[in-house]
Amino acid sequence: MIGSSIEIAPDQQERLLDSRPKNFFNAAVKRWLREPLLHFLLLGAVLFAIYGYLHRGRGGVESSRQIALTLDDLRTMEAYFESQWHRQPTPQEFQAMVEDKIREEVLYREGLAMGLDKDDTIVKRRMAQKMQFLAEDVASAHEPSTAELKAWFDKNSQKFALPSRYSFRHLYFSPDKRGKNAQEDAGQTLAKIAGQAEDSKLAAALADPFMFQDYYGDRTPEAIAKEFGPQFAVALEKLKPGSWQGPVESGYGWHLAFIDTVIPGRVPAFEEIEPDVKTAWLGEQKAQAWQKSYGEMRAKYVVLLPAPPDKQAANAPAPPPKKQVPAPSGEGPL
Amino acid sequence: MDAFAFGTRTTPEDSFKYAMGETVEYMGKPVKRIVPLDFLAVTDHAEYLGVVRDTINPNGPFVNTEWYKMMTSTDPKVSGEAFKKLIGSTVVNKPLPEFTDPKLTRSAWDEYAAVADKYYKPGRFTSFVGFEWTSAPQNQNLHRCVIFAEKGPAMPFSSFDSQDPEKLWEYLELQRKQGLDVIAVPHNANVSNGLMFDTKDLSGRPLTRDYAERRMANEPLAEIIQGKGQSDTSPALSPNDEFASFEMFTYLIGTNIKAKSATGSYLRQAYGVGQELQPKLGVNPFKYGIEAGTDFHSGVSSTEPSNYVGSHGNQDSDPRTVVMATESVSGEPPTAIGSGGLTGVWAEENTREAIFAAFKRKETFGTSGVRIKVRMFGGWKYPKDLVKGADWVKTAYADGVPMGGDLSAPGGKSGPTFLLHAIKDPQSGNLDRIQIIKVTTKNGKSREKVFDAVWSGDRKPDPKTGKVPAVGNTVDVKSATYTNNIGAAELIGEWTDLEFDPSAYATYYGRVLEIPTPRWSTYWAAKLNLPPNPAVPPFEQQRAWTSPVWYTPAKP
Repeated sequence: MIGSSIEIAPDQQERLLDSRPKNFFNAAVKRWLREPLLHFLLLGAVLFAIYGYLHRGRGGVESSRQIALTLDDLRTMEAYFESQWHRQPTPQEFQAMVEDKIREEVLYREGLAMGLDKDDTIVKRRMAQKMQFLAEDVASAHEPSTAELKAWFDKNSQKFALPSRYSFRHLYFSPDKRGKNAQEDAGQTLAKIAGQAEDSKLAAALADPFMFQDYYGDRTPEAIAKEFGPQFAVALEKLKPGSWQGPVESGYGWHLAFIDTVIPGRVPAFEEIEPDVKTAWLGEQKAQAWQKSYGEMRAKYVVLLPAPPDKQAANAPAPPPKKQVPAPSGEGPL
Repeated sequence: MDAFAFGTRTTPEDSFKYAMGETVEYMGKPVKRIVPLDFLAVTDHAEYLGVVRDTINPNGPFVNTEWYKMMTSTDPKVSGEAFKKLIGSTVVNKPLPEFTDPKLTRSAWDEYAAVADKYYKPGRFTSFVGFEWTSAPQNQNLHRCVIFAEKGPAMPFSSFDSQDPEKLWEYLELQRKQGLDVIAVPHNANVSNGLMFDTKDLSGRPLTRDYAERRMANEPLAEIIQGKGQSDTSPALSPNDEFASFEMFTYLIGTNIKAKSATGSYLRQAYGVGQELQPKLGVNPFKYGIEAGTDFHSGVSSTEPSNYVGSHGNQDSDPRTVVMATESVSGEPPTAIGSGGLTGVWAEENTREAIFAAFKRKETFGTSGVRIKVRMFGGWKYPKDLVKGADWVKTAYADGVPMGGDLSAPGGKSGPTFLLHAIKDPQSGNLDRIQIIKVTTKNGKSREKVFDAVWSGDRKPDPKTGKVPAVGNTVDVKSATYTNNIGAAELIGEWTDLEFDPSAYATYYGRVLEIPTPRWSTYWAAKLNLPPNPAVPPFEQQRAWTSPVWYTPAKP
């Protein structure tokens, strides 16, 4: 019984027809005759008439039992289909979409009537999320001026500091080849090559082949950490440039390193990174908006907790949390 | 659908920032990767469209409407009313018509893609536009991650549009016609209840040549591991593989129902089934390269076991509960979720173009979350000890094929040689061994065999079984520590198939094992001074899998 429970809101229909100039009317009618939507509506109208006839005399349908889809709803569904498939839905496909929508609505309403939304963790969590999104967004919708951003940047410029960059050559002492002696071998080699140039052939001959590169140019500590492990990056930053230094341990073994160039880190000018500043500013606004609106909501409630077993204090209301409450996040394992 | 639970506090921006090594807030705590990632695709469920937030966006589509005026009014009464009206409409799940306009959906996706574009730093960090198609008929998981080469689509394709993967392919083919290259990656096959690598299509018809061709054209890669378990194999399917029992996850998603059988849910078996189907269809429908991901619903890819932050919001953020719990409402305890996986590629540079090209030619590997690097080449005429010289990779490409490739016809009687190279994650355990997993099919019957190919130290294979003895274990469970005084930093070597049969189909792929290290749940327990959760192993051998190299007989 498709269509039996669908009503086209009459005002929508009229508005649609009235809004079209008369000279376009014939063309519009021709186009509409090919529209699956129209076929569907006609079919719906016929079924609706039959339904009305069969159920005549029973009075109006309760409004909670009405599922009213407007012409806009149907066009939205059609447009959605078109944007996916770049063609119009066939009448069958269209009918299936409508029936899906109806089924969802029917089950949703029946579920509500049975109280299935009560005490459902997922429903609660979802509602809480929607509240959170809205609370954050409503409060953070203000567009900052450049002056405002600049002032904020001046206070928070360290957040945008660019790291130093290092260029260095290294020698590798492999524990796979040298076992426990790798560190000691590196130390002894350092004594032999002290004072040697960075590209010394002697130095290279005393070490093991490394799986990646022997020379790294213009690397941030982050890039060095990716390749060698974070502790190596930290140790390398502390080495004196201009001579062979070490031994330094990486995730692969032991190294001697020769840093030839260091470009010190700096805080960029506001103009260079205005978009990044705006992003960071927005992030902070959101977090603050959330704190504020949740604080207000939370203040409206009195929470009763059971008394701890060792104390006799009766149901004393729990005070609002002193610590900032983080925005909730996450969901069940899905 | 699981739509009720979509959306987390962390945004796609946070996901990219976290991957790039920045500190972000998750569950109220600052979190940061020890070592950043090189690339990331954020694949949110397509079934979630972030339209409501647009109402207050000063650059958004509502800017000239009453909605925007009301929502952003400085009069709290006015904004309060708008707020109520909006909440009211969402409570009854009857979206206001102005919010269901496809134009808006499109704008939400445009913004989504813009975020991915914003974090794309060619050479340093690559971000991909993607979404997840979340089809799971009767909780049997058919999810696919959809990843675009460059620009994002006009509209995502959701399981509301269709639950049938063939319809998804139709959508992908349409995108490609419009110049947007894109792939889909089946994920979480292990919880598909046999549906992911079924020998029938979703309507129950036997597979056809057309189906097989389209599947492979749209899906070059399949996910081998993620938080909810690995899809390589199950001990039930691979009884002779002593390393098979790793990060098993057998519950159907969001339920406490266990999958009824492993058949059809694991890649290794699918490699055989694909070879069985190949002579019938003319095309192997399961010739998958390897990919891995997290599927974390936290927005942060915390794949480092010693730095895992939980993956499902408030379900697993309280350490004490997580460490103690042996069950949960949805079947498995939160500790059953692993800290894996990452995808590795062999690409010329860190750009969308280079990485996506590697996806398509399947020169990829997957790891259980650690940053092992591994590559494999196969060929018939590699000179002996090639890998001992410098520049061996050039010859490896010139005289053979990299992983993801097909071996040519054999030149003589002897089997193919595989060159194998693995480098440890500098932040994790040393390497134990590289294995070759071989799946052969002859006369419609498939079998698998695991060979130890390269290993650390001077261990001798058992003369009877050919298996190399266990590497040992240095893990101290109580303190969640281990030492790298066993295993190797680097493994490199070659392996020749002495059991080669030129008339049998063969899929060869590599598996790298680390020495045992504490599982993330053991790190958590140690921090709280509690015993580790008995529902999961306290330590395990993290690993990586290469994409296969395939051999197809001329006359099977």
